[in-house]
Amino acid sequence: MSGLHADSIRKQYGDRQVLNDIFLSCKTGEIVGLLGRNGSGKSSLLKIIFGTLSADNKFVSVDQRLMPSLFSGRDLIKYLPQDSFLPAHIKIKYLISCFCGKAARGLVMADPLIQPHLEKQVAQLSGGEKRLIEILLLVHSEAKYLLLDEPFNGLSPLQITAVKTIIQKHEAVKGFVITDHDYPNVLDIASRIVLMDQGNTRVIKDPRELIQFGYLPKSSLHIYAGGETNL
Amino acid sequence: MRIARGLCLFYWKLVVASLLFSLFLAGLGSGSVPFFIGTGFAFIFLTPVFHYLSYEVNSPGEYYFFYNLGLSRLVLWVSTLIMSILVGLSIMFL
Repeated sequence: MSGLHADSIRKQYGDRQVLNDIFLSCKTGEIVGLLGRNGSGKSSLLKIIFGTLSADNKFVSVDQRLMPSLFSGRDLIKYLPQDSFLPAHIKIKYLISCFCGKAARGLVMADPLIQPHLEKQVAQLSGGEKRLIEILLLVHSEAKYLLLDEPFNGLSPLQITAVKTIIQKHEAVKGFVITDHDYPNVLDIASRIVLMDQGNTRVIKDPRELIQFGYLPKSSLHIYAGGETNL
Repeated sequence: MRIARGLCLFYWKLVVASLLFSLFLAGLGSGSVPFFIGTGFAFIFLTPVFHYLSYEVNSPGEYYFFYNLGLSRLVLWVSTLIMSILVGLSIMFL
C-alpha cells in the first residue's frame, strides 16, 4: 500500500466530534483537494497527519511506514500552515539550505520568483511574497507529500497562477493535499476532491455535488454547468 | 546537518538577546558578584525567558518552520534548557 494513508482519525473538542473516523489517502502524482466549511476540521486533519496536533485516535503511514511522530515523517511530509511560518529575522538564502538538498538549492536560488529576494530578511517581504516563497521552499524540499493549508490565501491572481503551475510541475513526483476556500482554483488543479462534512469525508465525483451537499450556494451552479475540471 | 542548521537559526536571536542582557545585568551587579559568574548565571535564566517571549508569545507561527525540519516543541524546549546551562556554566568558568 504505497502513498500517504491517514485512517481512523478521531478528534473531539469538548462535546463536539470534529473528526469521526476519517480516512484520507494521497499518492504521488495526485493533487487531493480538501474542501469544507469553516470549522469542518480541515486544518485539524492536516495538523494531525503532519503530527503537530494530537488526535483521540490516528493511524498515519507513508509507503507502508508508520508515522507516529513529527520526527519520523520529517523527510516525507511537510506542512504549510495558514499563517506565515518563516522566521522573520533570517535571510531567504539561509532558509533555502534548511529545506532543499544540494541539487535543488541552485535551482531554487536561480528561480526568478526567489532570486530578487535572496538577500532580504523575511520581515522585509510582503504577505504574498512570503506565501509564494514558503510554497516554493516546500515544493523544492525532498518531501514526497505536501499538506498545503490555504496556499492561495493573500496571493495576487498572477501569484496564484504561478503557484498552480509550480504544483502541477511537481505533481509527477509528489503528492499534494490542498485545502483552500478559493474553490475554483482548487477544483482547477485537483485530481480528486474530498469534502469534509459533519466530521466525515465524502469523495466528490462531480463539482455539482458540492452544491448538493451544501458546500456551495445554488447560485454557483452556472459555473460548473458546462465547465471542465480534472475530476 | 539540516537539523543542526535549523537549531542554529532557532537559537541565533535567543543567544544574542540573552547574552546582551546577561552582560548588562552582570555589569550592574559587578560590585557584589564576580562579572563572569553573574553573566553565566543570568544567561542560564534569561535564555528560557527569551525563548518563551520570542516563540510562545510573540511569534508562535514560527514553530512550524522548525516542525517542518522535524524539531518538535518539546525538543526545542529541552535543547534550550541544555544549551543555556552549558553555555552559562562555560561563561562562569571563564
